[in-house]
Parts: sequence; structure tokens; C-alpha cells
Amino acid sequence: MAEDERELVASSNANERSSSLLRRLSKDHKLSVASLVVILLFALAAVFAPVLTPYDYDAISLSDRLAPPSFEHLLGTDEGGRDVLTRLLYGSRVSLMVGIVPTMLSMVVGTLVGMTSGFFGGKVDTVVMRVADIVMSFPSMLLAMVVMYTLGGGTANVFLTMVCVGWAGVARVVRAETLRLKQNEYIEAARIVGVRRLRIMLRHILPNCLPTIVVLFTLEIPSSILTESSLSFLGMGVQPPSASWGLMVSTGREFLYHAPWLCFVPCVAIMIIVLAFNYLGDGLRDVLDPHLRGR
Amino acid sequence: MIHNTLEVSNLNTSFFTEQGEVKVLRDVSIVVGEGQVVGIVGESGCGKSMLARSIMGLVRKPGKITSGSILLDGKELTTLSKKELCAIRGKEMSMVFQEPMTSLNPTMRIGKQVQEVIAIHDDLGKQEARLRALEILSTVGIPEVEARYNAYPHELSGGMRQRVMIAMAMVLHPRLLIADEPTTALDATVETQIIDLLKRLTNVGTSVLIISHNLGVIAQVADFLYVLYAGRVVEWADVYELFDNPLHPYTQGLLDAVSSLRSQSKSLKTIRGTVPNLAEPYEGCSFTPRCDKCALWCATKAPELAIVSPNHEVSCHMVERDDDL
Amino acid sequence: MSGTVARGLLRRLLYALIAIVGVAALVFALLRVVPGNPVATLLGEQADNETVERISSSLGLDQPVLTQFANYMLGVLRGDFGESFMLGKPVAELIGPAFVNTLWLALAASLFSWVVGIACGLIAATHKSTIIDRLFMGFSLLGVSLPVFMVAMLLQYVFARYLHWLPVTGVSDWTGYILPAVALGWGLAGSIARLVRSSVIEVMQQDYIDTAIAKGRTNVQVLVFHALRNAMLPIITLMAMQFSSLLSGAFITETIFSINGIGRLSVQAIAGRDIPLLQGTTLLCTFVIVMGNLVADLLYSVCDPRVRKGA
Repeated sequence: MAEDERELVASSNANERSSSLLRRLSKDHKLSVASLVVILLFALAAVFAPVLTPYDYDAISLSDRLAPPSFEHLLGTDEGGRDVLTRLLYGSRVSLMVGIVPTMLSMVVGTLVGMTSGFFGGKVDTVVMRVADIVMSFPSMLLAMVVMYTLGGGTANVFLTMVCVGWAGVARVVRAETLRLKQNEYIEAARIVGVRRLRIMLRHILPNCLPTIVVLFTLEIPSSILTESSLSFLGMGVQPPSASWGLMVSTGREFLYHAPWLCFVPCVAIMIIVLAFNYLGDGLRDVLDPHLRGR
Repeated sequence: MIHNTLEVSNLNTSFFTEQGEVKVLRDVSIVVGEGQVVGIVGESGCGKSMLARSIMGLVRKPGKITSGSILLDGKELTTLSKKELCAIRGKEMSMVFQEPMTSLNPTMRIGKQVQEVIAIHDDLGKQEARLRALEILSTVGIPEVEARYNAYPHELSGGMRQRVMIAMAMVLHPRLLIADEPTTALDATVETQIIDLLKRLTNVGTSVLIISHNLGVIAQVADFLYVLYAGRVVEWADVYELFDNPLHPYTQGLLDAVSSLRSQSKSLKTIRGTVPNLAEPYEGCSFTPRCDKCALWCATKAPELAIVSPNHEVSCHMVERDDDL
Repeated sequence: MSGTVARGLLRRLLYALIAIVGVAALVFALLRVVPGNPVATLLGEQADNETVERISSSLGLDQPVLTQFANYMLGVLRGDFGESFMLGKPVAELIGPAFVNTLWLALAASLFSWVVGIACGLIAATHKSTIIDRLFMGFSLLGVSLPVFMVAMLLQYVFARYLHWLPVTGVSDWTGYILPAVALGWGLAGSIARLVRSSVIEVMQQDYIDTAIAKGRTNVQVLVFHALRNAMLPIITLMAMQFSSLLSGAFITETIFSINGIGRLSVQAIAGRDIPLLQGTTLLCTFVIVMGNLVADLLYSVCDPRVRKGA
């Protein structure tokens, strides 16, 4: 397209820029807004789980085992007679927590490292990036498993592992953004005037990195959720009797032919939440930061 | 009767955006005679590039030619099928773009890119095609052609890249070559060389339509000049006539701005205001907000192009009034 | 190859080596941090301390960690990866065939994902903003969002219960690779499709596309001769990285389909606390990933002439 054409179409759509984020999102990306709603619903369900169901997630009742979906048990019962819906709701706590918290921590660590490294440059930058490269070349699932083996199972350890492996990718992206922003003349102007470097980083670079970070965050969450479910599936994540969707899939696998709902219900739940975050992330990226397109 | 290579009549091109229809070309009529060099001037955003792209059929969605006729050697282009248009492009009419760095495929060697034009339209063997490509590259002034033939675009300087573009456009001896801001991205020293090169094209029978916002550049090569403003032709004339006797206030403003650079005056003359937003329809003469010579009725009715003298037409109410008196 | 390029290559190889050794060391250290003596765990409660100590020292577990590591790496250079605790066989013998199985699976899954991914991406890009585009992109998103175990089990369920066309476990012949390849490749195809679409769309906006049209190329020709060679650059990198990631173990797929590959071996090693085996698989996997990244980088340099001449 010629420059003129681009400018033309852009300027006639420029009025859009002033509206709020939500409005912009809802205009072209209705699916993203729907996804946001879905995520909020899941979050609410997770928080209000005890209120929403009369059962305990670990209430074993052998007489009721493997009952198909019915009025009493909307999604049936599992091999211990526990209500599947209840376990699903409690499991959503784990999945959402594991999806969001370690990712957030990775974001924080990665941003700190990436921004500092990119801003100051020099030897520190080179060394840090080499380390990040090495971390990124880990077979991450494998390493996660090894760490889990070493530290034992359990939610906290899953968190730790995921942060240890996840920060590197974030650091790379943030560093690239920092380098790009650093070239802007207003940064140089600020330096010349004598603004302290920390202030420049916080006031000028960080706010401009935020859109990228937010989009990255939303897109990394589904990956974290999948990693956790995979780990739990293999028995190396959250341990019974806690409920985790991955764990439910794994235990349900034994009864694939007699009680397929045990396996597929949590699968579908995972699918929905991952899809929702992906749609949301896509929409946010389109609206906020075209630089990440193609990730 | 001079045979005309290009005849554009009442061309209208619009973009259909979310804000509505944006008319980028309104009733534009241009004539390029055989062997002539015709220049189109105007500020950025006046529709010059759109004109070039409309003629070549390069207007992309959401843009579209809404009405008008484009005759190339008497053949109507607006009604051609895609296939027929493809057969003409590159062979009978070709285009040189503004940014040579981004207009050349970065992953293809330049020699091959020139050869490609031949391969698309002619049935020459590979060897022959290569020879022809080498020949044209040498003609446009690329030194050490054999060595440079296998270079990639990023290995050449801006001036050389533009020469490659010209070579691609010239290799099949088109009837019409459209040059869209050919020197805007180049240094001043290279600029003159490229302009000279373009001027020499007429020696081989090619007519040139050159588009630029730089009056100085165009004046050196053009036989005729069209002045575009807000999608309309506001004045056109033989180049000497235009410089001697500019009638439209906009043209006068443009010429004043150029000459004030050279004169001893302390301040640069500018045309106040900015180019209008083409999305907003305007009943009267588009130049009114910036015009020092307008009257009340200029804002209500758009003027028509009127003949002032042979090879000189203007579209301005005030000029017409002078004539009436 | 010019001097700069050769130096760049050497530098990258060096970093790759450091990465591999680094990860190996990390894993080595981690495994020895575990409380409790693995030998004791293996032998069970009946074993007395003497026996445990005897076996431990024969395995070299009582020496300082650095010495152990050095010995281990030296052994690796000779091709000796130690002996598996669980199975008593040399680790090298175990990971060899397992790697071959994983290699076949990786190839099959990659082929599937490349063909499907590129096709979907191209179709979506050429029909941008139409229903077809949304459909294909919706599918791609689904591919990226579905957990591998879900697709794998779904396929297993359907083919075991209803359509008895394909084997659902093991790889006795080549047909055994089909379902696992689809399960694995499905998600990868989604990523590729999305990237192909955005890359092609971006390339089609470039100025040289206009030049190509001005030369008289038809839309299809423009796509094939000009757009694709530029659009494929980032995609090739992605494909290379995906392949190496596949090679380093599709743990879940192999577990579900009972394929004896590196992934499954690793999982078993962890479950059985088999340190030498785990070290062996981790080392191999790291090697593959690091080499894969290196190849991806190199491929990019080779394909993009702008990058080729510099480092």
C-alpha cells in the first residue's frame, strides 16, 4: 500500500483511538469480550465454590461411585463417589491460580531483568541474555519434572518451577522493547537534561512497555495452565486428594470406557478456559500492540 | 493531430471507509502526448499517488475507481479484465515507485528481478533475457553490471536501487512510464542524475508521467505541468507558461514558496493552513480556507476548469471574473 | 563462508556447548539434592546399611559431587552414560532405540503440522476478513487451545470404540504412528497456521508487492514468487524449533499411546527414581533442543540474505 493509502485509512479510523480500551475491544472483537466474561465466570465459580455446591470435594462415598450425570450429581461422580462438579469447581481454583500467579511472577521477574538489561546494556546485558538463552533452551517440561522430582509434588513447587522456567522468554521480549524505546529521542533528551536513569526507566520506558507486557501475560496464561495440567496428568503436579483438572483427567483415564465423562468434563473445562484466554489475548494484542502480531 | 499516449477523462476514485466515502480524485482529466513528459505537482495528500495507482490499476480495497475513463494508446483500461491488465502492466505501461528500498524484493537478486519482467511478457530464452537485463542495467548507469547483477537490494545505494527500478520499468520499452516521486527518497546529488535519466527516456519513444511535490525537480524535465489540489486539477499549462503566468492562487503560492528560497528575502513564504480532510465533503472551492484572493461565493460553488489560453486551463472563480471584466 | 560468518558460527557453537554442559550440571546437582539415598529407596526397607553403603560406593555416589560430575561427563564422551538403576542395562542401550521411536513420531507429527498448518494459514490469508478466514483461524485457535492429552484420548476413544481403522497403542508398524502424530501435530499446526496467516498478510502489504503487480504478475504469481519467500522466514524458524521440541519428548502422547520413546522413558525414570537414566535422557533432550535452536538460527541466516552477510 502506498503511504497515502495507509494514512488515509488510518486517519479516518483515528477517531477510534480516544475511546476506552473496553469499547475498542468490544467493537471489533466481540469474542474477546465474551471470553473475558467467561473468565470472570470461572473466577467467580472458583471463589464461591463452597457456596455453589453442597458437597465436599473430597467426600468419599463408595456406594455412589461412577454414577452418570443426574439430578443429584449434575456431572456424575468419580471413582471415589465424589461429586465431579464440585471437584471441577475446586479444581478451577488450582488451575486459575497456577495459570495466573506464576505467570504474573514470571512477568515481574522477566520485566525487571529484561528492562534493566536492555536499558543499561554492556557486559551485564550480554551475560544476562546468555543466561536467558540457556534457560530458554531447557527442555522445560523435562526440567519441570526434574525439579518436581527433587522437591516433591505439590502446588507451591509447581509455581516455583514455572517461574524459574518462564522468566526468560519475558525478559527477552521486554529487553527488545526496551532497546526499541531507548532509541527514541525523548529518552536521550531526558538523559541530557539530567533525569536519573531509574526515573527514566519507571516513567518513560515501563509505561510504554506495558501494552506488550499485558498482551504477553494474557497469552502466557493458557500455556501455564496447560503446563500445570500436563504435569498433574503425569502425576507430578498437584497431588490427590486436591482437585486439579489435570489430575482428574489422569485418574479418569482408567475409566475411559465405563465413565467417559470423568475424563472429558475436565478436558472440556481446560479447553474452554484456555480458549477464552487465547481469544482475550488475541483481541488485546490487536488493539494494544501490533508489534507482537504473529506470536 | 498529436497522438496521445495517455488520456485520462473525468476520473473519480474513492475510498470507502467506516467514516463514509472519501473522494481522493474528483473529475481528474490528464493528457500525455506521445514523447512528452508531463508533471503532476501538489502537496502530500492531494491525490497525486492515487492518480498514478488508478492508472496502473493498483488501487486496493477499500479504494476503487468509481467512474471515468483511462485510455492508453486509445485502449480503455477501466473495463479490462484482470488478465488483460496484467498483460499490459510492465510491458506497455510501467511504474517507478517512491521508495526503492522497500519497493524491491529483499530476498531476490536484482538481476533476477529485472529478468523477471522479460520472463513475464516475452518468450526469450534465459540467456537472451539475461543479456537484455544486463544491457538495460548498464544503460541506466549501473557500474560494473556483471558483478552487480547478483547483488541483493540492500547491498546497493539508494540511487542505484532507483536505477534498478527504472531498468525494470524500461526493459520492455513501454509506451508510458509513471514515476511516482522518483527522487524524494534520494540525496540531492543523485536526484539530478535520476531526473536526467528520466528525461532521456523520451528519446526511445516512451512518454513519462512524473509525479512530485518538488516543483524544482519537475520543472527541469516536464513539458506540461498539472497542479493538483484536494483531488482536483486546479491548473495545468505548458511549463514555461505556468512559471511565467501562474493564475491559480495555489499555484502562485507554490511558486512563491520556491522562489523565496532563492531570493534574498528574510522570510520563507508559505501557504497558510493545511490540506483539507478529504473525508469531509465541501461544496465550494477546496482552496478557499487558505486563499487570500477568494470571494464569498468561492465557498459555495466549486469552479470548473476553463481555458485561459492555448495550453493553459485554470479552475478558479476569481480568474474567470477577471476574464469577464 | 566469510570470516565473520565462520566466527559467528563458532561463537554460537560455543554457547550451545556451554548451555548443554550447564543444564547437565544443573540436573546432576538437582538429583543429588534429593533427601535420602536413592539406593536405599530402591533396595527397600530390608536392606541393611552395609549393603546400601557397599552398593552406593560401587556406584560412586559417595564421592564429592564435582568429581562425580567430571567422571560422568568423561564417560559421556566415551559413550558411557552409566547404568540404569531400574533395569540394570546401560543407559545408552535404552535411550538409543527410544530416541529412534521418538524421531519417527517427531517426523510424522511435523509433516502433518507443516502440511495442515501452511495450507490453513495460506487459505486464511488469501481470504482475509471473510468467513473462510474466521473459520480457519477459529480452528487454529482450537488447535492451540486443546490440551494434547485431550486430543490424544479423544482419538484413542473414538478409534478404539467405534472406528477400528487404526491401532491405538504401540507402534508395531507405521500405522501406529498416525494417531499420535495427529494428536501431537494438531496443536503445532494451529501455531503454524496463525503465524503463516499473519506473516503472509504482513508481506502482502509491502511495497515490493506493488512492484510485482506493476510488472504484470497475477495475484497467484505474486503470492508464489514474491510473497512466500519473504513470508516463510519466521515460519521456518518456528518449524525448526517445534521439531527439536518434539524430539525432546512428547511425554504425554507417548504415555497415552504407550510408545516407547524418550518422553515416556523420562517419565518412567522419574517415577522409578532412576538417576542415571534420567540424566541420560535429560542430556540427550537438552542437546537436541540446543542444536535445534542453533539450526533454526542458521536456517534463518541462510534464507534471509540481509542477515547472511553480517553475524
